[in-house]
Amino acid sequence: MASDLMLIPHVIIVGAGSTGAATAHDLALRGLRVTVIERGEVASGTTGRNHCLLHAGGRYCVTDRESAIECIDENMILRKIMPDLLELNDGLFVALTEADLAFKERFLEGCAACHIPAHDIPVKRALAMEPFLNPSTLAAVQVPDGVFEPFRFCLAFLATARLHGAVVRRYAEVTDFISSGKNVTGAKLKDRRTGKSETLGADLVVNAAGPWAGEIAAMAGVSVPEVPTAGVMVALDCRLNNMVLNRLNKPSDGDIVVPQRATSVIGTTSWTVKDPDLISIPPEHVERMISQGEQLLPLVRKVPMRAKMAVARPLIARRGEDARKVSRTFECFDHAADGANGFVTIAGGKTTTARAMAERVADIVCDKLGIATACRTRDLPLASYRLFYQ
Amino acid sequence: MTSMKMVEVPLQIFRYKEGERPHYDTFTVQVPETAHVIDAMDAVWAMHDRSFTFRRACHHSSCGSCSLRINGVEKLPCITRVTDVWDGRAPLRLDPLRNFAIVSDLVVDVSSFFQRLSAAGMAITRDAEPSLPLSVDGLAVIGVSPKPVELPENLSCFNRFENCIECAICMSACPTMATDDKFLGPAGLAAIYRARQKTDNPIDVAHLLGMADGEHGVWRCHSAFECTAACPQAVDPAGKIMALRRELIGRRFKKR
Repeated sequence: MASDLMLIPHVIIVGAGSTGAATAHDLALRGLRVTVIERGEVASGTTGRNHCLLHAGGRYCVTDRESAIECIDENMILRKIMPDLLELNDGLFVALTEADLAFKERFLEGCAACHIPAHDIPVKRALAMEPFLNPSTLAAVQVPDGVFEPFRFCLAFLATARLHGAVVRRYAEVTDFISSGKNVTGAKLKDRRTGKSETLGADLVVNAAGPWAGEIAAMAGVSVPEVPTAGVMVALDCRLNNMVLNRLNKPSDGDIVVPQRATSVIGTTSWTVKDPDLISIPPEHVERMISQGEQLLPLVRKVPMRAKMAVARPLIARRGEDARKVSRTFECFDHAADGANGFVTIAGGKTTTARAMAERVADIVCDKLGIATACRTRDLPLASYRLFYQ
Repeated sequence: MTSMKMVEVPLQIFRYKEGERPHYDTFTVQVPETAHVIDAMDAVWAMHDRSFTFRRACHHSSCGSCSLRINGVEKLPCITRVTDVWDGRAPLRLDPLRNFAIVSDLVVDVSSFFQRLSAAGMAITRDAEPSLPLSVDGLAVIGVSPKPVELPENLSCFNRFENCIECAICMSACPTMATDDKFLGPAGLAAIYRARQKTDNPIDVAHLLGMADGEHGVWRCHSAFECTAACPQAVDPAGKIMALRRELIGRRFKKR
């Protein structure tokens, strides 16, 4: 029995954000031995501090159709596999200016091209649904946006992965990789609970460290074309909207208000950072969130702020490109060609598409390890997130 | 970039690593005047000591993971401003939650909390109120009265997450926990109350009320109301415990 178990390939996943969590679930379900290494709590990096928007894809349907299609497809899958973990109240794309209004036709065309169900609803109806929406709204288009909680989202994937044998090591930090010739054969870690160092062997390592993927890749002697791009979000002391409110225009700063539980969260700004570990929040970004947010919901400025947060997103691009124009899609990098066989990076993307990212990287992992099992994560409902801690 | 007014805040942090003696370490960090306590903790980790462990995810009181004690009082550091809890002189003391085993520094093992929540079986989502705005602390803050909302044609109701964010603050603040380690606790009993409100199925109701009426249920509570005082989401667990008691008593009288 024990010797049979040793024949099953062992995969180390670096990072327990949404990508690492979904990848652990996918690989464990395909029968692999999986260990997730995370230096902090689950979702303590980029995933935890995200806007909580379950994208319908409308945000990208004009500028980045590949991302838009990924979003709507994954949106529908997540409704099936984690139905109890979502606030499903749809979203509105709202026109406030003539320029917004002029964007509507392109938006509706984009939605149609990306099979996003979109309904141009009368302004009077929109105001009855959202009584605090700007009364000078000129048009409103309803799409199937939703809201998730990123922490519980990850816990559900990891709880299910653990039921299938995965091991999740929190407060364990990767300090280096070990290799034999050009093959990466394991990782060195430091357990922050004990201060002890150890070595863990692996047949393959998946780098799912989000904006820290470059740092992790450097330990394996390879690089990832990633640009850590920070964003500021502001959470209010009141929930002013039931539905996600988006500005009907190309993506820009402060153009979304995502409601959740008893708060509304305005986001985001976007600027490139060197070190994703410590991001200080520029006060003028907070003010920009309030001044943009109050265009959609004029009450925004009257409501006390409950919290403000900033975190780096892992966008893929070359330095120097405008961060807003960088595609929000994801990419897998098999570093075998760069001299690190058995080391794969999954980078970019967003929490809404984490399951699809996991499917793609798990396909590559299984291909490299000679395993022919197909992905089963599209239909299998996840276990209760509460089981993660039991 | 506009200049930020900075403050230098000393933090006295509880430290524990497996096999070592617990102690306090003091770090002084520079943070913006508007910073929350979690930002100061982040600065300690990033600038001073990478072995410092704490739990966090959302930074806006939704995930419930960063709960701890600030100067002895249970708080969420993500929504607690440094200047609201620091007197400007003595170090701000950070301790882990009480009534849980300590894993490392400020990280505690919350498995006993989630076992209770699982037993209660309350779904984390619910039907929404038919009006907006909604606030944890009541709407007096902005002086706007709630307005009714209409539903989109395709939805039978709006839905939303339960107010309880499962931060376990109530279990730390509860004095009864120390007298019975199997006590279902404030969040557990509040979840039983919410699950009971959501069902009329007699079998489910009997099961839920049976748990509440049991040896480790509502009668253990000493009515200290510390849970309600500490809850950052105005769940009022103590009020829910009293409501369960009322229903249980009512049912006993009915039977006779």
